[in-house]
Amino acid sequence: MNVNGKCFEIGTIQAFLDGETTPEVSLRLTDHIAGCDACARLMADADEENAIVFSTLERELNTLVPTQRLWSRINETIEVEKANVPVWHKALAFIQASLLSPSFAAAAGIILMLGIFAVWNLRTGPSDIASDRTAPAPGPVKPTDANDPVVQTPTGGTTLVAGESKLPAKEVGKIVQQASARASQREIKPDTAEYRVPVNTAADDRYLPGEESYVKTISDLKQNVDSQKDSVMTPSSRVSYERDMAMVNDSIKRMREVVKKNPRNQAARQVLYSSYQDKIDLLNSVSQREELMASLR
Amino acid sequence: MSRNFVNFFCLLVVLCFSVGVVRAQVPTPMPVPVPVPDKKLPKDPKIKDPKIKTYPPPPGHDVPGVFEGDDDVTSEKSMVVDGNVAIKLCVAHGDLKINGWRRNEVRVFVQDGRQFKLKPLEKSAEGKVNWLSIGNFVEGRPGPGSECLAGSNIEIDAPVGANFDLSAEAAQTSVDSVKKIKVQTRRGMISLRNITGGIDAYTAQGDIIVENSSGAIEIVSTTGNIVAVEVSPGQVGDLFKARTNSGTVSLQRVDHRQIEANSISGSLLFEGKILTGGIYTFRSTAGSINLSIPEMSSCMIKATYGVGSFKYDIALKILTENITPSAKIVVGKIGAGDAKVSVSTDTGKIEIKKTVSKL
Repeated sequence: MNVNGKCFEIGTIQAFLDGETTPEVSLRLTDHIAGCDACARLMADADEENAIVFSTLERELNTLVPTQRLWSRINETIEVEKANVPVWHKALAFIQASLLSPSFAAAAGIILMLGIFAVWNLRTGPSDIASDRTAPAPGPVKPTDANDPVVQTPTGGTTLVAGESKLPAKEVGKIVQQASARASQREIKPDTAEYRVPVNTAADDRYLPGEESYVKTISDLKQNVDSQKDSVMTPSSRVSYERDMAMVNDSIKRMREVVKKNPRNQAARQVLYSSYQDKIDLLNSVSQREELMASLR
Repeated sequence: MSRNFVNFFCLLVVLCFSVGVVRAQVPTPMPVPVPVPDKKLPKDPKIKDPKIKTYPPPPGHDVPGVFEGDDDVTSEKSMVVDGNVAIKLCVAHGDLKINGWRRNEVRVFVQDGRQFKLKPLEKSAEGKVNWLSIGNFVEGRPGPGSECLAGSNIEIDAPVGANFDLSAEAAQTSVDSVKKIKVQTRRGMISLRNITGGIDAYTAQGDIIVENSSGAIEIVSTTGNIVAVEVSPGQVGDLFKARTNSGTVSLQRVDHRQIEANSISGSLLFEGKILTGGIYTFRSTAGSINLSIPEMSSCMIKATYGVGSFKYDIALKILTENITPSAKIVVGKIGAGDAKVSVSTDTGKIEIKKTVSKL
């Protein structure tokens, strides 16, 4: 049905219901429907269908369509985020944008190359300075034998071999640590600042697993024996003692190297510990002799 | 215009960045370390300069107990004692022979030596002396070892049940047929026979020989050899222990179930039975270890050695082998493996062979 046949098409009626018709069309449509029962019925059906459809989709339509308040919140968030962007981000974006210029990128590349070249040249010079600076500091002494534990003194000037000291190695270690602690408490000013070799506080790291008790026992015994052996032993006994000690020390040194390289070498470890025990027995034999002499006096 | 300004600004930024990197690589000049004396710091532990040691005169020149005007007399004394008497004495020098007899009496004979006395220290309820000291108890005599016996020959007869506690400076000591003895000498050989109740013998320089004895036995010699023949435990759990630094340890027919033998530079020889449930430990740092055991022995053998070798001509079933270039552990079983035998050396050789003669 068309307008010429007095009735309107359903599309026009639907557009009228959706509010999409012009005012002239809307006026003619309403005049016609007032006198045409068929068109009025058609419009009523269309309106009823619209009501059903909108009632069904009402929730989704309300959700999907952003409200003005939502739009305002989104805009506010964007503004805040823009304000919170770090300066270096902005600078980076700026540089990236600037580097799009070929001339500028070429200039920056040349400068970068010059910078790298300058760094390379300067690195060859200061090595002498660095070596001069570190020259006065004595290098840490690496222990060659677990039987002669070496402790680095805090001032770095001297190296104390426990076997040469009158004090037990444990006490020497304590003294060194105390000295280090006191030194660290000092207020260091630029004019009194001095290079300091770090104190080897991790002396125990030198020991192999299970070795520490042997080494400490031997150290204690050795100090006692060294002070007595000259007076206790006859020359022939002394020769035998030194020979046996050399054998045991050689065995310990050899096996220790092996165990150090491969701590899982159970065989070498057992031989090492047996050699340590032999050394303890050997040192004890001197003490036993000294006790006998004392009992005879 | 603005485009040029932007380019110039960026160039400036890159230049500054490059300069910053260069400066970071250049070390800041540091003050030369000058040792500043700080009174708050403790002094460094003093390290003595190595000095040439001046050795004292070798000990042994002046034998303690030998004095001018020693009596040089020959004398003999005796005393009735308890059968289980404990006797304590020391000897400055001389050849000492102790012999057990079946009398409850102690007799002491000193040839060309000092005067001496028999001094009872304790008596039993029956009035018999059960603790006796033998020595030179002259009042006011100065010097070390003044109470010790001295003479060219010293002979002591004591009950077979006697216990001896003997210390000697320089003496050849021979003890036969007493119950128990503890002997310590600084120089001189020790020979012990027919000791039934246990032995504790030590000599700093000299050999020790033990024959036909029983009980818990500990023998230590610093530089001498150790020989033990026909030795057995007195009771269950008695330990046999022999140790020398540079001598050889030879054990023949030692029937203890727990044996420890050690030497540092000497060899170890064992010839005898491996008893069921026994624990045997042989260790030498640089010497060889030879075991001669019956073919029908029952033991687990653990051989640990360094650069040495391990040989056997007995039916040893190898259970595990841990062989590295520097050290080896070989565990094997002979028979049912009832006893435990641990053999260890570093540079020596280990050899286990069948006993040739019938034990």
